[in-house]
Amino acid sequence: MTDLAVQFEGVRKQYKHFLLDNVDLALEHGGILGFIGANGAGKSTTIRILMGLVVPDGGRVHVLGHPIPERQAIAKRDIGFASEDMRLYKAATIGWHMELVRSIYPKWDPAYAALLLKRFDLRPEQKVKGLSHGQRVKASLLLILARRPRLLVLDEPTTGLDPVARQEVLGELMEVLEDEGRTIFFSSQNTLDVEQISDQIAFIDRGRIIDRGDKESFLDRWRRLRLDVPPGVLLPALPGTVGATGSGRLAVVTTSSYEPEMNLAYQSVGATVHAVDNMTLEEIFVANVMSRREGRVA
Amino acid sequence: MNWPIVKRLVWKDWYLVRWPIVGCLAGGALSVAMIGMRTNASFYFGSVLFITVVMIAAILLPMGTVLQERKDQTLPFVMTLPVSPDDYTMSKIIGNLTIFAFPWLLLSSGVMIVLASGGPKMRAVIPFSAALIGEMFASFVLLLAVAIVTESQAWTVSVMVAGNLFLQGFMYYVARIPSIARGLNGNGVSWDPAAITLLIAEGLAVAAMVCVTFMLQRRKRDFL
Repeated sequence: MTDLAVQFEGVRKQYKHFLLDNVDLALEHGGILGFIGANGAGKSTTIRILMGLVVPDGGRVHVLGHPIPERQAIAKRDIGFASEDMRLYKAATIGWHMELVRSIYPKWDPAYAALLLKRFDLRPEQKVKGLSHGQRVKASLLLILARRPRLLVLDEPTTGLDPVARQEVLGELMEVLEDEGRTIFFSSQNTLDVEQISDQIAFIDRGRIIDRGDKESFLDRWRRLRLDVPPGVLLPALPGTVGATGSGRLAVVTTSSYEPEMNLAYQSVGATVHAVDNMTLEEIFVANVMSRREGRVA
Repeated sequence: MNWPIVKRLVWKDWYLVRWPIVGCLAGGALSVAMIGMRTNASFYFGSVLFITVVMIAAILLPMGTVLQERKDQTLPFVMTLPVSPDDYTMSKIIGNLTIFAFPWLLLSSGVMIVLASGGPKMRAVIPFSAALIGEMFASFVLLLAVAIVTESQAWTVSVMVAGNLFLQGFMYYVARIPSIARGLNGNGVSWDPAAITLLIAEGLAVAAMVCVTFMLQRRKRDFL
């Protein structure tokens, strides 16, 4: 047993052209983890392992205290899972799906389900084959939220949604977050969505977790410095520097561990610090991935 | 095994294929009526229609309940429910066997009643017909096993084609087994050892295929 809602220890999965390598993840009860990676980075494989649908070649996985995949059926009683590639039965209605899920989950909340139907502007008698993509996503979300899961696992839930539908879905997730006992594992390549709802971040690239931590520390640590560098001045190699670009006298330095002392270090060699800019999560993610791929450690 | 949820998943498959099964029952009822008309032409066309209807049901179920779930991406929805891969396999086997057995049993019973209530020549066909109907059930189980284990439409269609060819050969060779051939040309029912052996072999083949399906499913490391 473990106190963590999700725990991966040295998880490994080898495919012919892809290796998920030594994945360690820990998500506490009530935490919201944004799991960010490019296409093919290993997000879906990690989530399938979490759900017990793929058996890892090595390592250990515990979800809600249950070893996975051995006790996945028990763990899934308290997991709500939605993914971008999950569909409902076209020939059946939303009401039929609700009845099916209700008959399986004793914690199904009919009042909440009715409220979500209204909020998402859905009707139980609507057949799935007549729904738009946005409506299908909302219907899927309704089916997992109304069962009141302790852990929500969302694999790219907002992919393909128009801006309005995306905001509706995110808005509903924000409301869910008010329940502090609810843990969320949120995978996306859309860093804006992740930035809105997550309190912890993990970056995955080419099958490896390349960085993780709480969101605020990511946003605090990462900075972009714009410098004026006179001819003949060589910038010192400061710890945490993940990139330096520029032309002529202008240089832009990206750092993953900014401290005000960095300004003094650059000034001491004759450079002038014009600006220290905050970075968005997307900029941090891209800089992090590129620096790893180019062999510079963030 | 999580039996309450297996039951819900079986019910789900029953619900989703209910109309095609009703269609097969209607076609099958027509075939039984034609067999009962007691003319050579109606017997022949009724038999062909019966075999066609059972074959359609045998193809439609693995395609509709197993392969279509993967193609339509509804399998991830099922697997979000508190089920293990074993529960899923069990629900597919129980669901498909019971759904197929429903029209198969009804229509086979209809054919047997019609044959039994006919003249001695009609009754003489009963053992051969029973072996043939049993072979069709075993073929269905093979098709289902291939669909579940391979998850491949190409493999399932290939086995379906092979199964249809095998059925033609089965009818040809079984009708030429001396004791069965004598029975077919005789008067009244003659349950000779060859016909009984065939029925037992078909039953054992069904049981073996179900066991092998479970065994192979358990060895899978990637379910989606």
